[in-house]
Amino acid sequence: MRKLISFASTAIFVGATPVWALTEAEGLAQVKAFTLEHNADLVAQAQGLRDATAAYSAIIAAHGGDYSAAWTAEGPALSDAVSTIRSRWLATSNQYETIEGIVAGIPSLVKYDLILDAGNPGTEAEDVAEFDLTLPDGSVLKRPGSLFHTITEPLFWGSDPAHAMLIVDLDGDGQTGAGEMLFDANLALGASEALVFWAGALESDMTAWEPNRNDAFTAVVTMTPTVGDYFGEWKDSQFLGGSEAAFVAQSRLVDVHGIMSGCQRMYVSAIAPVVASDDPALDAAITTAFQDLLALVSETRAREEAGEIFSVEEADALGGEAQDIAERIVAQVLQAAARHGVEIES
Amino acid sequence: MSLKSQLRYHAKPLALAGVAALAGLGWWAALAPQPPVVGVALSDIAFYRLPFGPDAQGNDRPFWPSLLQSETGLLSDPARLPSSADCAACHPREFTEWAGSLHAIADRDLVYEATVEANEDIVRHPEQGRFCEGCHAPAEMLTGRVNSLVSVPPADALTEGVSCIACHTATHADPLAGNGAVTLAYGRAEAERDGPQGAALLADPRAHLAAFGAPDTTALMAGAEICGACHTEIYDTSMSRAETPQAVQSTFVEWRDSWYGQNGVTCQQCHMAADPAAQVIRLRTGDLTPPERYSHRFIGANHVLTDTGLGEALTVLRGGILPGMDAATTRDTRVEQARQTTAFLRTAAGLDLRAAQRTDAGLRIDIAVQNLGAGHNLPTGVNDQKHMWLEVVVTDAAGAILFRSGGASERLGAEDPAAVAWIEHFLDAQGERIINHLTFATAEVVWIRRPIPARGEDVVRYDVPLAAGVVGPLHIEARLLYQIALPDLIYMNLRRDLSVPAVTLAELSATLPEVVQ
Repeated sequence: MRKLISFASTAIFVGATPVWALTEAEGLAQVKAFTLEHNADLVAQAQGLRDATAAYSAIIAAHGGDYSAAWTAEGPALSDAVSTIRSRWLATSNQYETIEGIVAGIPSLVKYDLILDAGNPGTEAEDVAEFDLTLPDGSVLKRPGSLFHTITEPLFWGSDPAHAMLIVDLDGDGQTGAGEMLFDANLALGASEALVFWAGALESDMTAWEPNRNDAFTAVVTMTPTVGDYFGEWKDSQFLGGSEAAFVAQSRLVDVHGIMSGCQRMYVSAIAPVVASDDPALDAAITTAFQDLLALVSETRAREEAGEIFSVEEADALGGEAQDIAERIVAQVLQAAARHGVEIES
Repeated sequence: MSLKSQLRYHAKPLALAGVAALAGLGWWAALAPQPPVVGVALSDIAFYRLPFGPDAQGNDRPFWPSLLQSETGLLSDPARLPSSADCAACHPREFTEWAGSLHAIADRDLVYEATVEANEDIVRHPEQGRFCEGCHAPAEMLTGRVNSLVSVPPADALTEGVSCIACHTATHADPLAGNGAVTLAYGRAEAERDGPQGAALLADPRAHLAAFGAPDTTALMAGAEICGACHTEIYDTSMSRAETPQAVQSTFVEWRDSWYGQNGVTCQQCHMAADPAAQVIRLRTGDLTPPERYSHRFIGANHVLTDTGLGEALTVLRGGILPGMDAATTRDTRVEQARQTTAFLRTAAGLDLRAAQRTDAGLRIDIAVQNLGAGHNLPTGVNDQKHMWLEVVVTDAAGAILFRSGGASERLGAEDPAAVAWIEHFLDAQGERIINHLTFATAEVVWIRRPIPARGEDVVRYDVPLAAGVVGPLHIEARLLYQIALPDLIYMNLRRDLSVPAVTLAELSATLPEVVQ
């Protein structure tokens, strides 16, 4: 599993190199093409995840829904199924994280970010993921929260005890450590199918999206300053000794890097041609600041991957530093936006 | 040659020399480096929003609904505002003391931050948060950063809450209007950057003194008015749902009308005394001698954000380590801040058993809760959160509990309906209680029990039912407990289940052998 996480992390870090564009139109087209490419991968990975959960559910169903009987009869198969599901989940999630910084910043697409990745359950007052989840047994979960981090991640990694059906020794080491359990097959399959559906819906709307300057600026100025919140989630996660159910599959820093890379890509491809046209120094300052921000996240993640355990205080300081850079970027981008008459949808 | 002839002889060259001198001066004035223009026009802040419209005279209200004002009407360039860490080079003691204070973290404290966000989330224009930030983050306000789209870059000076320049450039305050009604001349701080700095400043401190020691500022800082501008809070329709003005925080008026106000004992004489507890004890005896030394700790009643027992969590709650501070110095100054805060709180109140007598139904007890040392009401401030309550336990000769009021834990103290608590409730437009300080939803503020004025007392009566055969002597234990915030505030706004300890302000222990025969 550790190897898998490491591989997935590396994939998202390498895949984030932004592309310089000669003109604004070219850059906007590049951003859209990039997003659609990864959206297609997201759909494909989600289908793979759905297939894996279907296989897992089939084993459970073959034993009449008796998890204990299924484990007794087909323990190794279930263990492999759980492992496959987790690896598929990571691959699916990372595809989305690669484009989240773009999707979540575009006003017409932001609802998908809430449904797939960032939304709250209906019990919260704001940022609710506006969808209901229908499960294979016909039950409906009203406004259950985001598919990745509220539902499937806590489900697959056992940090949601309500849906852990049976504690088992998944890795066969004679012990039952954290996350070693069989989870609710009904919820797993329903949520995976929903991931396929909503990833496809995003692809449709992304295809219809007409890239434009206002959306590009809005995406950068709304998403970049969220970096501090993500560091806060990292600080509260189990990676730093916290108790949050979400962000247990991989470090939140991997997501942070994906999201900020999306912001950087949007800037470098679609906005830099506009800014550089009349203020090359400002463009250079923003470009450098983005590099600094990504470097800070990358270096912190590299230290974590090397085994360094960060204190809460250190996490706060790093988050503060990242937020400071992000706010400088946004201030400069907004100054450019004002100069070019851009309307920001806040 | 006569004098007249000499004058005539030299008149021409003298006149030419004069003209040349004037021309030279003009030339020098034209070519000499000009001091940079200080201040930023509101129109130069990209995307700055004014959602609440102009005032009655048609003027912009960039800080509304806060009553904060910029002396020049201009905003400031964050890059030119000195951080308090800059002041530390020559004023290290003042800086280190201030770094432990609540003023230093007025805009960093996570509970405050989360509460502002919770308030902003329930209104159409997040700029309504300027009401809070006027007092908590004057530098952010005066640079135009309190805006839904922040086009002004951050700077250290902007993270420091009530920093050095917040008080040391103040030129006017209106403590009766409150709501941040203070005028700050940040332009002076910006201009001072062009004067001598570092060692050169010591040789020529005129620009520094002009910026931070101007007569208007010096006079203002000596009185209670500057404190009152922020320690007076009145809700109205501009920032809340209150149809009629609701006095939420009236510390200045409480002080003004008190023995302390009448005798010229200012806020600074207690809260900025080098040893605040000792100063209060002196005042309790009627000794009006001001403190020998003043400190920048601004010792108050926040026993949580000074609680070093929280360990690393305290740093997190206080928003990290301040610019210019290191971990060791931060720890040391917090330890001292905690010690002084605890000592200070213990000087405020007293309990006195006034009566204990047998009645037909049992036992009647009168306990006087005394405000012995606070120069304002007890409790004061925003009392939907800051509250105190009385815990009373009566036991029999065997130690069995016959009666308890106020609960065994601090949480019960806030929620036990039968407890005697000095607390106010924020009510929404439907009359429902708001427990997490949603100012913007508050329609009415009601006291459950009025606070105790300075040098006043509140006698609380308990009728304790006693069963037949109770064996004396009976014993009474009473504690006056204080809590800076309800745990619900932290849980609801910060999403953390953080224990909020209570502080014992005063204790009473008495045995009543004569009450039960």
